[in-house]
Amino acid sequence: MNKLLAASAILASNLAFAGDKVVVYNWSEYIDESVVEQFTEETGIEVEYATFDSNEVMYSKLKLQQGKGYDIVVPSTYYVSKMSREGLLQPIDKSKLSNFGNLNVDLLNKDYDKGNQYSVPYFWGSTAISYDADSIEAGTITSWKDLWNQQWEGKLLLTDDVREVFHMALRINGHSGNTRNPEEIKQAYETLKSLIPNVLVFNSEAPREPFLSGDVSVGMNWNGEVYMAQQEGANLEYVYPTEGAVFWVDSLVIPKGAENVDNAHKFINFLLKADVARANAEYVGYATPNQAAIPLLSDEVRNNPAVFPSQEDINNGEFHHDIGDEASQLMNEYWQKLKTGM
Amino acid sequence: MIAISNLMGPSKEGKGSARWAKAGQWLFLGAIFFYLYAPIAVLVVNSFNQSKYGHNWKGFTWKWYEKLLNNQNLMDAFWHSIAIGLLAATFATLLGTLMAYALYRYNFTLKRVTSGMLFVVMMSPDIVLAITFLVIFMALGIHLGFWSLLIAHITFCLPFVVITVYARLNDFDGNLIEAARDLGASEARTFFTVVMPMSMPAIVSGWLLSFTLSLDDVIVSSFVTGPSYEILPIRVFSMVRVGVSPEVNALATGLLILSVVLVVVAQLILRKGKSQ
Amino acid sequence: MNFRRLIISVTLAWLTVFVFLPHLLLVGTSVMTPNPDHLVVWPVTLDSFEKVFTPLYFSVFWHSLELAAIATVICLMLAYPFAWILSTFNSRTQALLLFLLILPFWTNSLIRTYAIKILLGKKGLVNATMINLGIIDEPIQLLYTEFAVIFGLVYLLLPFMVLPLYSSFDKMDKSLLEAGRDLGAGTVQRFRHIILPLTMPGIVSGSLIVFLPAMGMFYIADLLGGAKNLLLGNVVKNLFLVARDWPMGAAFSVIMMLMMALMLLLYVQANRLVSRKGGLHDSNL
Repeated sequence: MNKLLAASAILASNLAFAGDKVVVYNWSEYIDESVVEQFTEETGIEVEYATFDSNEVMYSKLKLQQGKGYDIVVPSTYYVSKMSREGLLQPIDKSKLSNFGNLNVDLLNKDYDKGNQYSVPYFWGSTAISYDADSIEAGTITSWKDLWNQQWEGKLLLTDDVREVFHMALRINGHSGNTRNPEEIKQAYETLKSLIPNVLVFNSEAPREPFLSGDVSVGMNWNGEVYMAQQEGANLEYVYPTEGAVFWVDSLVIPKGAENVDNAHKFINFLLKADVARANAEYVGYATPNQAAIPLLSDEVRNNPAVFPSQEDINNGEFHHDIGDEASQLMNEYWQKLKTGM
Repeated sequence: MIAISNLMGPSKEGKGSARWAKAGQWLFLGAIFFYLYAPIAVLVVNSFNQSKYGHNWKGFTWKWYEKLLNNQNLMDAFWHSIAIGLLAATFATLLGTLMAYALYRYNFTLKRVTSGMLFVVMMSPDIVLAITFLVIFMALGIHLGFWSLLIAHITFCLPFVVITVYARLNDFDGNLIEAARDLGASEARTFFTVVMPMSMPAIVSGWLLSFTLSLDDVIVSSFVTGPSYEILPIRVFSMVRVGVSPEVNALATGLLILSVVLVVVAQLILRKGKSQ
Repeated sequence: MNFRRLIISVTLAWLTVFVFLPHLLLVGTSVMTPNPDHLVVWPVTLDSFEKVFTPLYFSVFWHSLELAAIATVICLMLAYPFAWILSTFNSRTQALLLFLLILPFWTNSLIRTYAIKILLGKKGLVNATMINLGIIDEPIQLLYTEFAVIFGLVYLLLPFMVLPLYSSFDKMDKSLLEAGRDLGAGTVQRFRHIILPLTMPGIVSGSLIVFLPAMGMFYIADLLGGAKNLLLGNVVKNLFLVARDWPMGAAFSVIMMLMMALMLLLYVQANRLVSRKGGLHDSNL
């Protein structure tokens, strides 16, 4: 038994080795892993990488740890404002980000973080509809409303994201996806209720996966996931619905309790490098906010409407904003009901 | 015993129908084992399959094992799991053996409460245990990570060690302990030189059981672990939700082989213990 | 400090801090008021327990009970004959078969769930086999259904049902059966009056070990059920880790604890009944 103890103690001490590191908490499937390796090679800083599949999970994990434990987190727009308001974030020192100038100014200085005090855009993208073009005829699905069609009973995929799903219903009813009006939210809930019989699966880890495995042939999807599925040989079509797609920006932030603040800045600056941003963009298939990276992209990516939407589609859609605690709480309650099938 | 097997068929049967009954029994057992092993077989086979999706056989390969070894995050999580398993099993065994001995040898106030608490730990559904741990760690300000994980794992392993060791203690001759005491050995010395060696087989099984429970746990771990110490179930959970990950097949095969070896070794130790 | 006091105090200290106190805190949490910033705040309230009985939560609760009950019954139907047959073999075969039964446990249950996911997919082995056998023409939806969830629950929990049943069969006094037959009791009679009562403790403890944990296995519903709120475990996990409504999550946990206590009570009763019945039978025979 003594030997065992000794052996396990050695094991533990080896593993608890605390070198120079940075702890990154990102959406799953949101980085080219070779980029991470490259960073470690160049700087000697180890990257500890953990993933989440919804803003809500990320937020409550962070809140539970009082903002400690992670050095970089990647919340969506509306969570950036919520988290900075609650004092969970620390300001980013832009003097340490020599590559900050690479960013597209159109995506900076937005309402959710004036002056980009706390956040640096990482990717932007959309939530719309994708379908398997092998089994479904082109033109069958052009709008969100088409998902309500009875022929999809027990067949749909929805992202496991309360804001996106409600956005869809709010747009169908002619409201803004950023509404705070409880009546409109309630109406959206009623609309969604009739969609539930069509839902087979909620997935935000990798919405492309049920498509690839053949279990789902139509549903909500993110543009990058569709791109990745296309890379893997699936014949997936991405449709910007007529009511307007959901647009969002995900940003890099540093939590208040981060222990490796310097390394976090180094990692962010590294991600802002044009060639790194290009590698990431070509791997995940979301639109990069990195202006300097765009000329480096292959034509196939740059001209793929799934990756970079047309200006018309952007104008027709709507970016996510913070809707405040009260409205999100209400949405969340309805969301739980919906996921229970009520 | 004969009476029971006869119960499967009519009470007054000839040899022929007894043979049929026996065949039926084996068929039933076979079906159950097929159910239990088919998914595992698929994992093992697919770990050597060229095809990523494993829907059909595309030739033999080691590449998923290579990929597994190169997947730093997954390997880290794997070693973390092993470390937690070893440490939790060892401490749970130490603590549990002492507890079993205390319950066996001494009378003390709260003795019934003690066994009651152990019983609660054993019977509580994992999800409830997980919540109680989360609540106490938050209340005590213990950070979620290595220590919270270790404490939780030790605690849920404890009752199984206590039961195993206690049963063994109950089986052997209490006079031996008295004899050792009469010869002037202190309580502690008696425990370490007489009781521990004699209950070694039970201690080994307790350890093994704890190690298994620790490795198999998903629910408790997902509540009490933090970013600083990610273990296998957490990592695998996100991997398998993301999609087909042939490395996971390789990992499963590795774990399976490891466990068979472990069990065989343990059996040898136990047998040795018995023959002594 | 002497050895005796040392080990008794270590025992008591550990169990108090990591078992007793946490359970007490859990009950405490369940009657507090939820708060987004501080998790829980005063005042004490029974709101969370009231909410359990609102249609939303009650339907999850009920549905979860149903799924767990179905899984338990299927486990019982498979495990009962299995344990029975097992107990008729010689001890070496028994040991081997028990070993084979437990062996899969050394692969993490999550990985085994993943294996089931691969099996049940539209392009999975189950569909492929059924198509090859001509049972179906087109792959059917097995994954992300309640069927898949039950399949997974039974798969993971079956051995837990077998073990206690096996030990009841093993402990059963076989002479009672012989006596029963000598007295002319038929197969059905012997089963109803001897075997079933004698194995009742095994049935109850097996069901106890399977039923409640089945309600908590959120990862089964997440992976095989399409992340819908099918099991109580999903709801509890959501309440704690997503919605941050700890009192509500704690209230569900407390209810599960109470259910466990109830089932334990049943178990004790069953045990008593057996010892009494055993006595009766003895005197009757």
